[in-house]
Amino acid sequence: MKRLLLTILTFCFLTSDIALSQAFKTESGNAEFKSSVPLHSFAGTSDNLVGRISLQDSTVDFYLDLATLDTGNGKRDKDMRKTLETDKYPFAEFYGKVISGFDPDSSNKQDVTVQGSFTIHDVSREVTINGTLQMRPEGLLVEADWVLNMTNYNIKPPGILFYRVEENIDIQIEALLKPQNS
Amino acid sequence: MRINKLLLLLISLLLYQNQAYAQMERERVNPGGAISETFWAPNLIGLETTEQISAKNLNVTIMHSFGIVSNRTLQNFFGLDIGPNVRLGLDYGITDNWSIGIGRMTDRKVVDLRSKLNLFRQTKDNSVPFSMSIKGDLGITTQENNRPIKDDMNYLLSLPIANKVSDALSIQIAPMIAHFNHVSGISQTENTLYALGLGSEFRISRRYALTAEYYPVLGNRNPDTINAFALGLNIETGGHVFQLFFASSSWHTEQYIISYNDENFWAGDFRFGFNVNRIFGL
Repeated sequence: MKRLLLTILTFCFLTSDIALSQAFKTESGNAEFKSSVPLHSFAGTSDNLVGRISLQDSTVDFYLDLATLDTGNGKRDKDMRKTLETDKYPFAEFYGKVISGFDPDSSNKQDVTVQGSFTIHDVSREVTINGTLQMRPEGLLVEADWVLNMTNYNIKPPGILFYRVEENIDIQIEALLKPQNS
Repeated sequence: MRINKLLLLLISLLLYQNQAYAQMERERVNPGGAISETFWAPNLIGLETTEQISAKNLNVTIMHSFGIVSNRTLQNFFGLDIGPNVRLGLDYGITDNWSIGIGRMTDRKVVDLRSKLNLFRQTKDNSVPFSMSIKGDLGITTQENNRPIKDDMNYLLSLPIANKVSDALSIQIAPMIAHFNHVSGISQTENTLYALGLGSEFRISRRYALTAEYYPVLGNRNPDTINAFALGLNIETGGHVFQLFFASSSWHTEQYIISYNDENFWAGDFRFGFNVNRIFGL
């Protein structure tokens, strides 16, 4: 009995180690959005995207502190924070699962689909996002882009006199997630 | 007994494995950082606030004040027919905490050079409970008067101290000292004046805010002058901050406001005016 338990325990340690090696995390991923008003477009970026992907259970967990987005114009940053109410709702977040197959033994860039809940401005919606995953020697490279409709998340596109910022904004993320136990 | 311990360890490990991939705890990058937007613009009406222009941004201001509303109200169409005092100004953010500016007023053709430095800013966790700036302004009267240029110079040094009490309300006190190299001796007897600039901004919505400012002069003052007062409405349009106001003083820089105001707001001697602030990213 004792021997059996020890065997199970050893097995658990080993599988636990394997499991951890299948989890990848970063706190410095890049997120970018592109937005436009008539005759003008601008982008905001942040290098503070936090993300974790577990290949063991296919969970995908990403969040961004929206106050870290920088559009290169201080006044516009203030307006953006005011629009997103970042003091009240500081994060944009996604929590879901990879629903397509992914081969961790291949070093090719593979198309993947994730499905889950995206939350911003205190509104959560189920979304399906297409992106790519690539296993590299230094970790797991994630790339994805999708279109976010501000009005779906109860965000009123800010206006400049008679113009209004386009309600659809392009979101792009890129992050190299490193093995979590390293 | 040892088997029980091993079982306990085994269960703990399994639980650990199950919890390992729960949702991460969300953490802010800079939870105690400086609060933003104590005021919507670098100036309240005429009073300079602790609000700073961001680095590489240019703030263009156009300030107008008209004649006294109650002076032949209809004939002068509520003072609008009386030639306005206009100040055109440019302020540039060298860093997020330091700006320089230049402006020119119609009355006495005053050109002013100014600079504002943020000393510290109120933080979200209240470890720093207020924001403080220091502002200097050099005014030069360029109107022809046959006086040496040094007599045309005046100075202001102020120390705006502000607190964002809540999302809706911000208050400010600014001790200030003004000095005029030359005084007329009749309507202006004091070379140096001390005053406080008291101001507040109350935000009604994301677009509208009510503002007020009051300038009690401390100690000696010029003959027949009264503490200036103004009430305003700020309109934030995204690109511009429009400021509509009623003020006792027609002047747009603090050293003139505390030295020359002889109108009593509460007796109905106020004028309409408006400021336009537009910030450009360069």
